[in-house]
Amino acid sequence: MNKSLLPSVWRFIGLVAVQGLLLHQVGSAVNEYFNVLLYPLFILFLPIQISTTVAVLLGALIGMAVDMFYASPGVHASAGAFSGMARSVILAGFKPKGGYSGKEPIPAPEYFGWPWFLQVSGVFFAVHLFWYFSVNAFSFVYFTTITAKTLAALALTMIFVVLYCILFNPKN
Amino acid sequence: MGRLLQLIIRNGGFFTFLLVEAFCFYVVIQYNTKQNAIFTHSMGLAAGHMLEKRREWVNYFSLQQRADSLQSANAQLLADLALAQAVQLPYRDTFFTIRTDTIRLGDSMAIHKIARPQYRFIAARVIGNTINSANNWLFINRGSNDGLRPGMGVVTGKGIVGIVRHVDPNFSAVMSVLHREAKISVTLKKEKALGSLVWEGGDPSIMTLKFVPRHFSVKVGDEIVTSGYSELFPKGIPVGRIAGEPIPDKENQYFWILKVNLSQDMSSVSDIYAVDNIFQTELDSLKQKVKDE
Repeated sequence: MNKSLLPSVWRFIGLVAVQGLLLHQVGSAVNEYFNVLLYPLFILFLPIQISTTVAVLLGALIGMAVDMFYASPGVHASAGAFSGMARSVILAGFKPKGGYSGKEPIPAPEYFGWPWFLQVSGVFFAVHLFWYFSVNAFSFVYFTTITAKTLAALALTMIFVVLYCILFNPKN
Repeated sequence: MGRLLQLIIRNGGFFTFLLVEAFCFYVVIQYNTKQNAIFTHSMGLAAGHMLEKRREWVNYFSLQQRADSLQSANAQLLADLALAQAVQLPYRDTFFTIRTDTIRLGDSMAIHKIARPQYRFIAARVIGNTINSANNWLFINRGSNDGLRPGMGVVTGKGIVGIVRHVDPNFSAVMSVLHREAKISVTLKKEKALGSLVWEGGDPSIMTLKFVPRHFSVKVGDEIVTSGYSELFPKGIPVGRIAGEPIPDKENQYFWILKVNLSQDMSSVSDIYAVDNIFQTELDSLKQKVKDE
């Protein structure tokens, strides 16, 4: 296995465990608007140079793993695959001047600074959450509820994202 | 094909995304009760909507066909209406009651089953008429082509006119009641007394009623109608009124001689109806049986 992928493997296991065993329990204990989805961080912190195809497949994979805890086959997988796709677009949109040099293995605050990271992760989590709640509701009749849930979850999730980055300061 | 393959490879991420999403949605619908219910309901709505649209289109394209069928139904109704009107032509013929509301569309025989009219009326116009001869004739513009036969009675709304004697394809000669051979079976409407109406010449508005028995008290102005016994005329067609005091018959003292003022002015006959007795042949053969015995 490529050595540079090893942190991602650990991140996969760790985030699925935290998501499934901790955040899911907390969320279902509070109320339906209390949702923290931290696992997409795995998708965001995949190597920058990774192809979209792989990102989509890995996104679907971690989604499936989370679905097992949520007993909602396909819902998180769909959102994960969508985030894998969206990631490429967002990273291309927030390309720094001169492009990605190749010296930065992952889009972390360590390399690009906090303002850039907060923008990228904010948009990334927003689209992921919106897609997730849409598939979960499965009808745009509930558009208002979907948007409300997305905004609430985005605010909560971003706190955990920042905490995660401060705690672990991921470099690769 | 090669270019399509290139397109897929170049946009591999996007196509993978589409494939994975298709798979995910399949799984979501298959294994999640809530999403499955929503999906099934939405598909039901979509299918209903599409069926509705299809029905609208089919309706639109079948408009011509429906117009045609309405038109033919209309023609049938017109025919039925004409039939109903033809049957109702006897102005005061109470021999039968027609319940036109029960006539079923397209079933012209139904009217016979319900009401069994005995007479059919063929409308015609007088094209020649005399009143000043000893034996008078009328000529009408209908003949055998129109169903006329010798022996049919001829009436108007006001009274009787004569009897069809000679029939050509398009014209007929009608023996007027003002004819020495004409003999009409009539009754006094009030007294129910039978009599025989003849014309003895002279005044074309006066006929002579014979063979009314003397025990019937007859007054001036009493109404005379057809008896219906001769089958030439339906029962109850107006004929006229008693014009003068009853005179005992010199030849046969048991009967009256009565003068009758005809209700139909024979000098101004124009629109007439030939009376077709539908059961004439049946009646004739029945009478023949009696004769043969």
